[in-house]
Amino acid sequence: MSQPAARDLAEARGLRLRAPLLLALGALLAFEAAGGIVIFCARLVTGTTPGESLHVIAGVALTGIYAAYQVRHWNRVAPFRPRLDYLLGVIASLSLAATQATGLWLALSWWRDRVAQPVPGEVSYPAALTALHNIGSVAVWTFVSAHFGAVLMRDRRRES
Amino acid sequence: MSIPPFSIFSAVSELFVTAGVFFVVRRNWTRRSFPFGVFLAVALFELLVNVLYMANRASRAAAGHDPIPTWMKAMFAAHGTLSLLAYLAFVILAVFAYQDQRAGRFFFREHPALTWTFLAIWTVSIVSGEAIFALRYLV
Repeated sequence: MSQPAARDLAEARGLRLRAPLLLALGALLAFEAAGGIVIFCARLVTGTTPGESLHVIAGVALTGIYAAYQVRHWNRVAPFRPRLDYLLGVIASLSLAATQATGLWLALSWWRDRVAQPVPGEVSYPAALTALHNIGSVAVWTFVSAHFGAVLMRDRRRES
Repeated sequence: MSIPPFSIFSAVSELFVTAGVFFVVRRNWTRRSFPFGVFLAVALFELLVNVLYMANRASRAAAGHDPIPTWMKAMFAAHGTLSLLAYLAFVILAVFAYQDQRAGRFFFREHPALTWTFLAIWTVSIVSGEAIFALRYLV
């Protein structure tokens, strides 16, 4: 690739990486991931759920931000191409959608036991749904990171 | 105490998954073609069977369905977090290795410190999982 073309590619990528929607998505994902790990460990060991309400509220915000980002992202990268970065991106988006869906479903239990008809003690989350939400979170972390890494690596190779 | 069949299956299959992980790394280390099929099978199996199993057991323990001492719950939490880290590292590093190899480079071979650190974390994760299985059902 010629020098100016490589520079244009790098600039375009830099702009995309600094886009407010992507930054907001990244910040919310990181916040939810950290909060999820804290809740997972604390609930398992001590039976408490520190930051539970914040996790739910940020999760609802994440759903909206992610939907907006995914629509714009897909409009830019469509159609699907048989490449590893695309495959990882599809798995990442399906994982994130499934995690958000199970998260919102779990949030109904939170709403019932914390807001609508408050009960003392822990919210009674369904164990199987919690497990699905947790495994979805692992998949999101893994495949979003792998997709991101694969795209950056692909661009670096194109520029060199 | 009777051992749930799925717990036995998970404990045994973890060893096969570990063999798959070491196979992928070794092939790349010895400059042979990247076993993409093995990588994909291992990554998906680990996620859809073993991580799901672990998440389900942890959720049941957290909900109080399974009476488990607190120290073992702490081990569950530590093992779960470490397994997450190991799995994440495996998929990302293997993707890098696959992409690098298409350009004639061998990622694991060229990043020995990273490779050995990853293998150490993976080994600790697996050994801790097998230890939990043994302490819970065999001791």
